Amino acid sequence: MSKPTVGIFGLAGCSGDQLVILNCEDRLLDIVALVEIRDFLTASSQNDTACPLDVALVEGAVASRHDAERLQAIRARSKVLVALGTCAVWGGVAAMDRGLDRKKLLQEVYGETEWEYDSVPTQAVREVVPVDLNITGCPIEKEHFLAALAAVLNGDVPLYPQYPVCTECRMRENNCLLVERGELCCGPVTAAGCDARCPELRVPCVGCRGPARDANPSSMLAVFEAKGFTREQIAERLKTFAPEGVTA
Amino acid sequence: MSTLVIGPLARVEGHGGITVEFEGDTVKDIRFDVPEGARLLEPLVRGKRYDEVAPILSRICAICSVAHTLTSLKATEDAFGIKISPQTELLRELMTRGESIESHALHVFLLALPDYLNYPSATALAADKPAAVTLGLRLKKLGNQIQETLGGRAVHPVNAVVGGFGRVPTFEQIITLRSSLMQAVADCDAMIDLVASLPATDFCHSDTLYAALRSPHLDTYYSGDEVMLLSDGNRAIVSAPDYRTFTNEKSLEHSHSKHSTFRGSPFMVGALARLTVNPRRLTGRLAVAMKRLKLVLPADNPMDNNKAQALELLNDVDRALDIIEQLLRDGLKDERPVPVHPRSGTGTGITEAPRGLLVHSYTYDDGGRIVSADVITPTAMNAASLELHLRRAVEQCGERDDTIIAKRLQMIARAYDPCISCSVHLVRRA
Repeated sequence: MSKPTVGIFGLAGCSGDQLVILNCEDRLLDIVALVEIRDFLTASSQNDTACPLDVALVEGAVASRHDAERLQAIRARSKVLVALGTCAVWGGVAAMDRGLDRKKLLQEVYGETEWEYDSVPTQAVREVVPVDLNITGCPIEKEHFLAALAAVLNGDVPLYPQYPVCTECRMRENNCLLVERGELCCGPVTAAGCDARCPELRVPCVGCRGPARDANPSSMLAVFEAKGFTREQIAERLKTFAPEGVTA
Repeated sequence: MSTLVIGPLARVEGHGGITVEFEGDTVKDIRFDVPEGARLLEPLVRGKRYDEVAPILSRICAICSVAHTLTSLKATEDAFGIKISPQTELLRELMTRGESIESHALHVFLLALPDYLNYPSATALAADKPAAVTLGLRLKKLGNQIQETLGGRAVHPVNAVVGGFGRVPTFEQIITLRSSLMQAVADCDAMIDLVASLPATDFCHSDTLYAALRSPHLDTYYSGDEVMLLSDGNRAIVSAPDYRTFTNEKSLEHSHSKHSTFRGSPFMVGALARLTVNPRRLTGRLAVAMKRLKLVLPADNPMDNNKAQALELLNDVDRALDIIEQLLRDGLKDERPVPVHPRSGTGTGITEAPRGLLVHSYTYDDGGRIVSADVITPTAMNAASLELHLRRAVEQCGERDDTIIAKRLQMIARAYDPCISCSVHLVRRA
């Protein structure tokens, strides 16, 4: 059997998810033995930019017409498209632009210019093209990437936790930052998978993995409000990494 | 008139390209183009509370996420008048060493090295020269181990917060780091041997103005509040609150970026600039290695930045060991972050990211929420200098040969180690 062909792409983002792939130092040479990486601009100057791909890994959000065109071209040549990281899955921090006047934001950064920049309101990958698998995280967890790769190679689909960070945090027997210290911790409504990294370090969860599917937002809202936080404060925090974090 | 378009640039972080416009054989214009979507994080962070700022602005760039986090904290602490503990200062400096080791190993071995040995990628290189690539990966992993131990995560650290650390690493964790660092000492020598064996890259000479953080101690990425600009024996010193005198950014149509100049001159930041501005660092093993690499300072060849990164990586391992010795000597304390009392005002933080000077400057209201934020990244500062050096390389190429020019210009752009995500200000025109 020939090796599956893979492309790794970055849209508007910090390249953190591509970096996580490169951070698999102990596995990197095994990975290139198992799959054929045909298109990976960040790592290679010899890329086939048109060949069909079995798997496309896309990080970053769409923030320009150029990004959208690239993404459509990637979708057209790929059997499986994986959205890699919170920006690709939810829009990420740049999607805080939702509801704001993009022209004004641009003007604030660049001043009055005689020319127009190619810049559009930030969108997640699935808002532009169909996505086959979402791997969230800002950045993604190395183990989640490796599990996805192993699953795809074996014709399987990886499973990721749908429960909130609180579940993992309780399993680590941490003191609760929200209930015991009154801190605005997003753990109750944020997707787990990080092993409660931040609360383990006594740092409140900032919601970088986006909303958890199996959370109980209405009861959590009551807990937050009992601790003196307003709905606006909570919504403001939850939409930092995922504008939809707030719809709940 | 004819145009040479090089790109998209491979083996750099983000999406960039180079356009050269010729009139006959003369360069009329040269541009470093960036088709990277703008994320406009500076205005988007407005209204955010002080504890949210570093986690958001660290997302400007993954490879420099420690630098963005720590520079952000420095700016916020400056605004609120917070004095961090000596232990926090040491731990933060250790974090920056981890970031620099990771970033330099990634750049030297995985991004730049294939150019010198005529391979398209490090993985292609690994098929013929596995030892060189695995050496780089080992060093890269060491950098990540330091970042993970201190920051809780290799990319976008979570443990460094306003006033200190969420949880100070344990004695055992620090001992484990020390043993990994000691094992890397020999790897650093092997790295210097490898870099010394690479073919010379002698195709761009230029007078260069260098800028770097001036070290109050022997050398530092994190401490210090003054920037020194140095060229031909002329020097200027700028203190943090006056950073605009050298960043002085301008939006330009032709260059697609905001460019920084100091009194009209482009300047270079990064590893080579740091070694040039702080010559007191050049002692011991570092001085010996520098001789081996035949690096003479001040350099007139931007390709020397690759050598400077290798030298810094070696020095980072030594310095990280020194810091750990000091931490162990002083005794690690499980300190909590300094209490925060927000107040209105402006604060500025300047540090050395792996790619050079990084500035964060914030104004807060009295409730500790951001009124305005200004971030100036090394790649944005370097853009004007890069264009100057690209121009020099074309001029010094002799008879026009587009294949040679393309290869050389890409190597120079890569030697600058541009971090395009970092350049929040760089966007492409419609």
